[in-house]
Amino acid sequence: MKPPPFEYGVAESVGEAVALLQRYDGEARVLAGGQSLVPLLNMRLARPAALIDLNRVRELDFVRASGNTITIGAMTRQRSVERSPDVQRQNALLHAATQNIGHPQIRNRGTMGGSLAHAHPASEYQAAAVALDARFTLAGPSGTRSVDAAEFFVTYLTTAIEPDEVLTEIAWPALSPGAGWSLIEVARRHGDFALAGVAATLTPDARGRCAEARIALFGVGPTALRARGAERTLTGAALEGGVFDEAAVSAEREIDEPPSDVHASGEYRRHLVGVLTRRALREAAARAGVATSTGVA
Amino acid sequence: MVEFPQSIDDLPTSMPRWVGQPIPRVEDRSLLTGQTEFVDNITLPGMLHCAIVRSPYAHARIKSVDVSAAAKVPGVVAIVTGEDARRETRPIYTAPPGWGGNCLAADKVRFAGEPVAALAATSRYIAEDAAELIEVEYEPLEVVTDAEASVREGAPLLFEERGTNVMYQRKFVWGDVDAAFAAADHVVTERFRWHRVGANPMETFGVVSQWDPIEGTLTCRGSFQVQGFSATGAAATFGIPLNKVRFIAQPHGGSFGGKGGQRGTTITTMLSRKSGGRPVKWIEDRIEYLSAGGGQAWDRHYEASLALTKDGRMTGLRVRLLDDLGGSAEGYGAIGAAKPLASFTGCYTIEAAEYDLTIAATNKLPCSAYRGMGPPPHNMVLEQLVDIAARELRVDPAELRRRNFIPKDAFPYVIPSGNEYDSGDYEATLDAALALADYAGLRARQDEARRDGRLFGIGVVSTIEPGVFNSNVYSLVGFPGGTAQPEGVTLGIDLFGTITARVGFAHEGQGQHTVISQIVADYFGVEPDRVRVVVQDSMNAPPGYGPGGSRLGVAVSAATLGAADRLKDKLIRVAAKLMEANPAEVELMDGKLRIKGTTGAEMPIGQVAATMLTRSDLLPDDMEPNPQATYVWTAPGRTMPDESGRVKSYLTAANACHVVAVEIDRQTGEVRIDKYAIADDCGTRLNPAIVAGMTQGGLAQGVAAALLEEYVYDENGQLLTSTFMDYLLPTIYEVPIPDKTEIVTPSPFTPLGAKGMGEAAIHTAPAAIVSAINDALAPFGLRATETPVTPNRLWKLLQQAKG
Repeated sequence: MKPPPFEYGVAESVGEAVALLQRYDGEARVLAGGQSLVPLLNMRLARPAALIDLNRVRELDFVRASGNTITIGAMTRQRSVERSPDVQRQNALLHAATQNIGHPQIRNRGTMGGSLAHAHPASEYQAAAVALDARFTLAGPSGTRSVDAAEFFVTYLTTAIEPDEVLTEIAWPALSPGAGWSLIEVARRHGDFALAGVAATLTPDARGRCAEARIALFGVGPTALRARGAERTLTGAALEGGVFDEAAVSAEREIDEPPSDVHASGEYRRHLVGVLTRRALREAAARAGVATSTGVA
Repeated sequence: MVEFPQSIDDLPTSMPRWVGQPIPRVEDRSLLTGQTEFVDNITLPGMLHCAIVRSPYAHARIKSVDVSAAAKVPGVVAIVTGEDARRETRPIYTAPPGWGGNCLAADKVRFAGEPVAALAATSRYIAEDAAELIEVEYEPLEVVTDAEASVREGAPLLFEERGTNVMYQRKFVWGDVDAAFAAADHVVTERFRWHRVGANPMETFGVVSQWDPIEGTLTCRGSFQVQGFSATGAAATFGIPLNKVRFIAQPHGGSFGGKGGQRGTTITTMLSRKSGGRPVKWIEDRIEYLSAGGGQAWDRHYEASLALTKDGRMTGLRVRLLDDLGGSAEGYGAIGAAKPLASFTGCYTIEAAEYDLTIAATNKLPCSAYRGMGPPPHNMVLEQLVDIAARELRVDPAELRRRNFIPKDAFPYVIPSGNEYDSGDYEATLDAALALADYAGLRARQDEARRDGRLFGIGVVSTIEPGVFNSNVYSLVGFPGGTAQPEGVTLGIDLFGTITARVGFAHEGQGQHTVISQIVADYFGVEPDRVRVVVQDSMNAPPGYGPGGSRLGVAVSAATLGAADRLKDKLIRVAAKLMEANPAEVELMDGKLRIKGTTGAEMPIGQVAATMLTRSDLLPDDMEPNPQATYVWTAPGRTMPDESGRVKSYLTAANACHVVAVEIDRQTGEVRIDKYAIADDCGTRLNPAIVAGMTQGGLAQGVAAALLEEYVYDENGQLLTSTFMDYLLPTIYEVPIPDKTEIVTPSPFTPLGAKGMGEAAIHTAPAAIVSAINDALAPFGLRATETPVTPNRLWKLLQQAKG
């Protein structure tokens, strides 16, 4: 459990980080909180020529609220995000997603950017980003560019970040006024990656009909994905029992073959998508103040 | 003749202040401040670091091993291979014998992760880099990972020379089992599958071995659970006299049976020898521990039947066990199949029993010891049968158990497999647990839940925890066992009047050093922190075994009391001379020697001891100037197994009843523990805080076995759960804090009346949780028979309810 040899470079600015990445010509990896990368190094599953340590890049450690967006620096610790009053006020879904990451000890070290760049498909951050259409800013040799969540997450553990780019910040749109939200999952233990999970928001209009629905399913494919069909089913519909069932059935059908592993079969994961979508929609509707029929979900 | 106090009140003190009290552990100050010296803290001059090359294949022939590239890496000092091991060492001892190989495989590997070569370098980094350069050519062989397949004709053979994968087969029959089943009004039968779980201490195994090439001696410092046993093994492995082997047990971060470490100890010794006597350290990393260490146990296929009369009297028990021991018998996992003999029929008056035991080899990690050592799965099986019978007879499961309990006036009670239970009041324990859990209230909540369509279930399970192991029962599966299981303590009073206890085991979390301090403090009238417990190495310690099989609390308190009695006799003889009294008239009380029944003339123990050490002219003629005494205790009355395997093995029988309520999410299959209540009886509680800690820890492991932990292998023998991402230890969120109460029936067989309880709740919790789950499922006629009961498994089972 010792990593193979690697060189180590410390960046104190984004510019320095990009320059170092260029120097290693795609053979370097960026080190943020180290919660995923360091075990991979120790198990010799990752063998970068160099690590570029971002922990002294102070410009990437911030939570900035402006208007309808919260922008968070990539090196912001998850614990800081969790404790941010702006996040708690503007984006309860993001707050809940943060609280679902591991345990406090992990969140003290883990960063938002590190988690998103690692791109584990059962990550709550990824689900929230996909549900809310977060935007990602990437800095490279020729300046910065911005991509949205759908573009950012390419596949399992793979993002749109080029080898000479650094993820610098993530812009999170606030929940719509009056929106209800839900983030639920089935995990083997508290703090584990989800076997399957759903992040959802529902925005009712004045008559209690659905003005906007956002549903992201996670842990059931190579990336978190939007249940577009289920969202269409809901949009414009009265937010009550039957339509949630319909949306749940749709969500279950929208995913490709979910992965099977030692904890859950693909069949079970697909089933969970339906159950959890129904529950998430009920919870979101309740949080939005829409009365729904109660009973066994 | 040494006299043992039968209860706390018999101690030579007017008011016991320490024994029986929940005093903080003397070990904790150093642990909590980070001062405890674990093996990885040790750095010796010139020390090298070992890395081990392991087979990626579960079953393969080794064609060649090329170390030339690794040998060229700067910093690499010594390299050893399977050929070296074959030349320099004997095969690792196994039980059953003859089912293993050397510490490094030479011809073939039988499980993925089996060591094939190792090297020592100036740092672990260099060692691991160089280990990658050792090239081993393998010829993969057909793999068998399932015990049912491995015992079938034509299965690939792990040990070709044996002609079979069956390591052990014996059918034990006690009483007229056939008659009991023929006469039964009801027979319930079920098959069960208990998947692999095991010990996971915070600290893995580690060792620093040093060979002295001049004297031909070996010194090993390590996290040895049983240093004397390990030293004996090392002497046998290298064919050297035992008095040339010194094993030093460091304090360690838990063990639970998972710290055998035979291979690592042997490999580092070979490397030290080859490097001219430099010390070689190996700290097993977590992946090595999980995939190739001592952390796997109890991989079992059961079929069992219970015979009952129409009024619900249990008359016969048949258990067929196919035990999957993995790629060799080196981890002593087979003991886990023998130990159930110590409590085969549980708390019940079942008079006829049969145990059809087959132990099979497969291409998986060899199984090791694990807390509980075998009965937890057996208890799960027996208790599920009792529940199935209760349902069939339409009797409340608590009531059916009550009807069959060994009555409290029947002790000592001999069970069909020959073990003798010392004492107990199982009905009182059951009643206490039912009351604590508000059993009637839980049943009312269950009725309500069922009306709402929710799955709410209650488990009520009573079990025995055999305490104070004796290896006589292990000898049935080839463990080198006799009837003596010694544990020694030396007590001495020094010139300043302070007391030192010398023992042969390091602390690993259970708090036995505290128990010694408590007993000595009350016995000699001092504060516990005036007592120092010193760990002696394997050469200096009195004969002893160490922790294991819920023995040490009883064994070490008995040894301490024996030594205290001998020391007291010396002090009395000296004091009598000084006081010009007859020794028969002198007694020890509250730390002073005095004329019986008077308070005038008295001498503190320190004064008497100091006189012994300084004034030979004042001593009785035949008295040495030695205020020290040693006592080596072993459980009395043990015998070797008879021809039917009956054996009086474990000295004590603790008893516990768990009442647990669970709710199952019908759609996701998740299980939530709603209520957990424990009543237990381990006789006299020497330190109730330690008992509580043991119970909580055993409960964590029991919950884990029932719901979370499982070592999963694929069909190629690759472990799929080789990190804590996938091997799911319970966390604080998954383990309930139970309501607890106690019953105390002192053991008549142990000093002070204590019973072994170091394994505690792991004996009961898996059975109780599975019972609760099956109670929740009962309206559908379904039952879970495979552990752990995961959400996926439960959901799959519940699919059958929907049709």
